[in-house]
Amino acid sequence: MTTAVTRSRSLPLFEKYGGIRMLRNVIMDFYDRVLDSDTLGPYFDDVDMTRLIDHQTKFFAMMMGGPVDFSDDRLARAHASMAITHAEFDEIAALLTETLTAAGLEPVDIVTILTSVERRRSVIVRR
Amino acid sequence: MFPETLSTRLLKSIGVGLCLLDSASHRILFCNRTFQGWFPDAAPESPVAAVVESLGPEAMEDAIASGQVEIRAKVRRRTLILEARVDRAEHDGRQMLILECQNVSRLRETEAMIDSYAAMVDRRTRDLEREKVQVEKLLLNIMPRTVYEEYRSFGSVAPRLFEPVSVLMLDFVGFTDMAAAADPTVTVAELNDLFTAFDRIGEMHGCERIKTIGDCYLAVAGLPHPNPDHMLSAARCAAKMVRYLEHRNRTHQHKWQARIGLASGSVVGSVVGIQKYIYDVFGPAVNLAARLQDISEPMEITVSGPMIRELEQEFDLACLRTETLRGFGDTQIATMSDRAPTAAVA
Repeated sequence: MTTAVTRSRSLPLFEKYGGIRMLRNVIMDFYDRVLDSDTLGPYFDDVDMTRLIDHQTKFFAMMMGGPVDFSDDRLARAHASMAITHAEFDEIAALLTETLTAAGLEPVDIVTILTSVERRRSVIVRR
Repeated sequence: MFPETLSTRLLKSIGVGLCLLDSASHRILFCNRTFQGWFPDAAPESPVAAVVESLGPEAMEDAIASGQVEIRAKVRRRTLILEARVDRAEHDGRQMLILECQNVSRLRETEAMIDSYAAMVDRRTRDLEREKVQVEKLLLNIMPRTVYEEYRSFGSVAPRLFEPVSVLMLDFVGFTDMAAAADPTVTVAELNDLFTAFDRIGEMHGCERIKTIGDCYLAVAGLPHPNPDHMLSAARCAAKMVRYLEHRNRTHQHKWQARIGLASGSVVGSVVGIQKYIYDVFGPAVNLAARLQDISEPMEITVSGPMIRELEQEFDLACLRTETLRGFGDTQIATMSDRAPTAAVA
């Protein structure tokens, strides 16, 4: 007889879709769409490319259960000076939907990710 | 004419940005469509410095000397990174420079993303490492290291018979009536202090704490590694605990009186439970130590059977008698106490 100690493990979406190896093209696509957006692009006119990529990578990793997690407080502090509007937040969600759909993610997973984004609306939107 | 037209068309359409400069004036002689896409002001006769901001005269000299240069182009709100090769050429006796630019923005962006991801993974790994140390510390509090290592390697722990070992059972007298018991904060602080001291004493004498239940403390000598001197180890540990309490009671507000039972025999050690698990020991030696502790007077250590003979060289054994113990019948027991330090055997 042995005493087994069970370990439960659910696969996060980040891993399900192949981790950074597979998701890097999705992140790049999203980065392109954000830069090309007339609503969001101006935010990044003077932002250094490395910083913007870092931001997008962390955003994806967090929303898909990758190796990073930020508290609501930290997210609020990071976005406080940007005065993001509801319309801009909606645009992010729309671009994200387009990106994830183009990448072929399962609809149920897209909904999960968007729900996760939406949950942070009150933290990000300040006006 | 045909090959020349073809060359011009080719030069205009390829993804590489090409720009021919006059070697002396650094004025543009020709540039293809790709280059013009990046630098819309580029046109024949324009000085290259007016078109490409980062290619001033000094930068141009450096680029010619090293044969390469990195330049930036702003296309809408995107800053492109271009790697340019600079080659000298001659055509119809005219000295020229060829700027051959590759767009490496995507490569750099991907590198930036991988760097960002690697930093995330590094941070997560450090966090996990810290967490692992905490979990390990916690688990080592509830099971011996060898058992923990077995669990870590195999995900399970096989029950194991340890034979022979000595069990030490300690319980405090009148705990519930103590003033300290009225205030749970004081109780926890006091027990924490006492049990920490007992753990240290146990460590010094090869006694492994198995568990505490309320004010009861259970330790075993000879587990998980066999120890031929398990009886002496448990006895030294018990004597030291009593001495520690006597010393502590002289200086502390709360006075603690303990009863201790020592018994030898076999025990089975195992992890009990699945989700909420605990390492525990079972066997007659555990039960006997509990009975002996139960019949001890405050600050007294009671031992039985073969332990009496084994310990008499090092300890004082008084009140040799036979008691009827529940589950064990008539049992020969004695009260063990520390000898004066000068007479003690090290």
